[in-house]
Amino acid sequence: MHEAAIAQSIIDIVLRRLASIRSDNAKAQRVSVILGEFRNVEPESLAFAFENMREFYPELTECRLDMETISAQAKCQKAQHLYHPEPTSFYLCPICESGIGCLIRGEEMDVVNVVIEIPKAEEEKRHARIG
Amino acid sequence: MHESADEHALERILGKNDEMADHNREHFRRSKTCVFNVMSAPGAGKTTVLEWTFRNLDGKFKPCVIEGDMVGNLDADRIAKTGTPVYQISTGRSCHLDAQMITRLLHSESVEKSDTIFIENVGNLVCPAEFPLGEYKRIVLLSITEGDDKPIKYPVIFRNCDLVLLTKCDLMEHVDFSLEEAEKRILAINPNVLVMHVSAKTGYGMEKWLAWIVRQISEYQSEIKKIAHVHHSAH
Ligand SMILES: Nc1nc2c(ncn2[C@@H]2O[C@H](COP(=O)(O)OP(=O)(O)OP(=O)(O)O)[C@@H](O)[C@H]2O)c(=O)[nH]1
Ligand SMILES: [Mg+2]
Ligand SMILES: [Zn+2]
Repeated sequence: MHEAAIAQSIIDIVLRRLASIRSDNAKAQRVSVILGEFRNVEPESLAFAFENMREFYPELTECRLDMETISAQAKCQKAQHLYHPEPTSFYLCPICESGIGCLIRGEEMDVVNVVIEIPKAEEEKRHARIG
Repeated sequence: MHESADEHALERILGKNDEMADHNREHFRRSKTCVFNVMSAPGAGKTTVLEWTFRNLDGKFKPCVIEGDMVGNLDADRIAKTGTPVYQISTGRSCHLDAQMITRLLHSESVEKSDTIFIENVGNLVCPAEFPLGEYKRIVLLSITEGDDKPIKYPVIFRNCDLVLLTKCDLMEHVDFSLEEAEKRILAINPNVLVMHVSAKTGYGMEKWLAWIVRQISEYQSEIKKIAHVHHSAH
């Protein structure tokens, strides 16, 4: 249910990046996020929330949400073996059967990239000004 | 097309909440207030444990409660009956408290006057785990009527907490719940957590819980004194 709050946070980040471009007609094309396996985010719910919410922002209506799930990697408690902790084996290390020590991967929840389109005419004007 | 795609562009999605949580934490450090975030599935016994605590704390600390509920103030009324000051946050359709909701209460009278705050989060084993509030320690309750498989199904909240209370132990003979199995599963997810067995109904294990709280408060107080000292000598 908190996927709505997460979608809103993603939108806020995109809006901030758009504002920093300082172009009246810039539009967000795509926002890419990474979601670790050990975070409570359901990609389908997030996509649904995002698609509903972006409608309220004209500069976001065509913005796609790309999600990449990062599979977890743990170091086990006993011997620092690297492994993928799985619920079916109670997250235990397959080699020595101790539990999760630290998680090297799997706790990400970040925006990695925002693609913004600036209309061609305006971009040329910018270049002219710079050049 | 403009692409903002360098390493620096990596930005935590819930970064704003984390910032507000840090703000709250700093505020609590200055006011020397020790804060606990109490989380569980609906009905695991959060309010009952708090009621027992306030009826038995014997002046050891000066608490205040922040109650998060989607609707109503039933829990706040129960806490008020113990004579403990309590604030109600109605989260509406939101299934968790967020840091900003706590920020709004920072300057409330009883929050300022107490040395210990218990925040009872909305009953939910998923969403509250993602929203730190500025707490010092996180407590998760799992009642034995919920089943000993819950740590496997909700690993995130069990990984990110300091104490797990296995509650309603007075019902042991009526349910198939292995305390040993549950504890093993929790420790496999979170090696640093402490697990306690309690019943707020009979008082079983509750003295140990109270002692843990008192110890956390005193450790917190000496920790922030040390930080204050470091700050001081740095200037
Ligand atoms: N047998 C038994 N029942 C308990 C115990 N603790 C709580 N209960 C009962 O469990 C029910 C829920 O307890 P609450 O304290 O309201 O649980 P909660 O976690 O605060 O619930 P929410 O705030 O709604 O999520 C109540 O009917 C309590 O009387 C206990 O130790 N033993
Ligand atoms: Mg309650
Ligand atoms: Zn191992």
